[in-house]
Amino acid sequence: MAESVIEVNGLVKRYGDLTAVNGIDLEVKAGEVYSILGPNGAGKTTSVEIMECLRIKTAGQVRILGYDIDKQQKEIRKRIGVLPQSFNAFDYLTVKENIDYFGDLFDQRLDAEELIEAVQLQDKRNVWFINLSGGLKQRVGVAISMVNDPELIFLDEPTTGLDPKARREVWDVIRKLKSKNKTVILTTHYMEEAEVLSDRVAIMNDGNFITMGTPRQIIDQYGAGSTCVVKSANEAAKGAVKGAGMAFEIKDGDLWVKLDDKGSLAKLVGLLSSAEVTYDEILIKGSTLEDVFLKLTGRKLVEVEQ
Amino acid sequence: MKPKHVLVDLRAQSKTFFRIKSNLFWVFAFPLLLIIIFGAIFSNLGSETVTLNVQDLDDGPGSFALLKGLNQTGMVKLRFIDPSTDLEQYIKDNSLAFVMVIPANYSDNLGTNTTATVELRMDETVSTSGTVYNVVNAVVDATNIQMSGGQEYVTIEVKSIVQKRFTYLDFFVPGVIGLTVMTTCVFSMQGTISRFRAAGIFRKLATTPMTPFEWLLSRMIWYLFISLLTLAIIMGFGILLFGMTMTLNLPALLLVVAGSAMFSALGMIVARFVKNEETASTAANAITFPMMFLSGTFFQMEMMPDYMQTIASVLPLTYLSQGLRDAMAYDNLNGAYWNLLVVGAIAIVFVVVAVLITKWEED
Repeated sequence: MAESVIEVNGLVKRYGDLTAVNGIDLEVKAGEVYSILGPNGAGKTTSVEIMECLRIKTAGQVRILGYDIDKQQKEIRKRIGVLPQSFNAFDYLTVKENIDYFGDLFDQRLDAEELIEAVQLQDKRNVWFINLSGGLKQRVGVAISMVNDPELIFLDEPTTGLDPKARREVWDVIRKLKSKNKTVILTTHYMEEAEVLSDRVAIMNDGNFITMGTPRQIIDQYGAGSTCVVKSANEAAKGAVKGAGMAFEIKDGDLWVKLDDKGSLAKLVGLLSSAEVTYDEILIKGSTLEDVFLKLTGRKLVEVEQ
Repeated sequence: MKPKHVLVDLRAQSKTFFRIKSNLFWVFAFPLLLIIIFGAIFSNLGSETVTLNVQDLDDGPGSFALLKGLNQTGMVKLRFIDPSTDLEQYIKDNSLAFVMVIPANYSDNLGTNTTATVELRMDETVSTSGTVYNVVNAVVDATNIQMSGGQEYVTIEVKSIVQKRFTYLDFFVPGVIGLTVMTTCVFSMQGTISRFRAAGIFRKLATTPMTPFEWLLSRMIWYLFISLLTLAIIMGFGILLFGMTMTLNLPALLLVVAGSAMFSALGMIVARFVKNEETASTAANAITFPMMFLSGTFFQMEMMPDYMQTIASVLPLTYLSQGLRDAMAYDNLNGAYWNLLVVGAIAIVFVVVAVLITKWEED
């Protein structure tokens, strides 16, 4: 069984009357990609910044790579890599110079060229950071977080504000980290990101973990099953579904029919076979972590501008 | 403390500094522009001659020879005042800066080998006063040599409250050096801290072995280097373009070192207490702008009302600029060391406060 690289028990962080983190427990095993998912203000960043030795906890016990966060911060800092939220490196240094800057601060470091290759920035190595796109900047950030060859890497919202293409490029880099057997803690408010990249996920809201497990376990436990989306369905289709007593919703002119069991799909297909019914296409949609979050909190896990 | 960490940061700073064009303008070109503009305005650059008003009470061969000699220099333009004019009133009414009075017995005295004294009334706050004195003095010397191989038959009596003969640039250039040290250090430090905080660089550095003290030390060393570079460039410019005679001595160097540390620390303190990037810049402006004008950079503090002089006496730039003037232009080493003492003491207090309050972990 893999060893625990993070052990958190009863972690609390208060700012005056505000409780940002309310007694969370967490255990992360070596080699895992573990996502902490939640909306802005949920307490994700505060929690990981305590684990990164950037904030002082109010209460609780935290051990990182076996070291006590209260007494052995120096040892922890040597062994972890951190990409802070909204991180921007030095604007007027090149990609390579930025990596070398942070690398030279450590006694043991990886070669800049090796890291540049890992994040696929070979053709940008001599470009100033300020002239890179958002996605490329985040890849530089990831490379910098790996510069001391850490066992554990914290990536705090590495894809916030990026376009879908750039986001997927960062995902590729995170997958590479996993393939190298690194443990990655990823905070995000993109449920798709957590679902695609993570071995395990903890969903956080108002300073508490409301559930944790593998994405599949969580969806199976709290998800609402599958939904059939009938695009541009006409009134006859809606009437047929309603008449059959099936649960449904109308969204933007589409008919969303809940599939409670295997038989309901066959039943729906039968209803849609009627000559009066017209529609453009039929899609089957499974439950997502977004649905789970909505079910557990009554709120949507939407991206809010920083 | 690991010197390697300081060197890593210094190397990055040197690359960054010279890659940002605006840095080169504000740190090097702007002070030179100031000197050119103010030098041109206050030094009468471009005018070929200085007007010397003459009241010739002698009107004899001696005064004729003296005036002819002055004319021949081509450096002064003579303008005559009627001998019967009430000179005091005339000077007042016409705001004259330079007046030479040739006494009634001037030619007679020369004829009997008796010393004759020419009275030269000058406003020393006018930058060309040194030129006028030198021209008159040269002509008088020539007269003496011509008459008897060195015996002084003609002397000048300068009537003045201030006896120093320095130009406006002698006053202004050390002030510009002080001003540049202040703006470079305060704005660079405040700007860097605000920017790094917003960019998450401090949060990143906090996860490395580099300590806040090592980072601060590196920054202060770099701003000191820039300050010394500025000093060299401004001095060289003043000497080459304006023919200034400025002294670079130990107190001048120590003043730049202490001034750089003092203002770097002030920039850190501002950035620590004002966290928003834009507000921090406004705060830095609010601190440096009054100092720029109240600390005697552009004009002498004696010209200011008493209450403003009182304000100036508590501003750090006052002591840095005055110390640099004493050291570099006025050859007043006692004054320079006194001002160095004040600047050094303020620098120690500021640096200690800055180091104590600077941390990059959050609460």
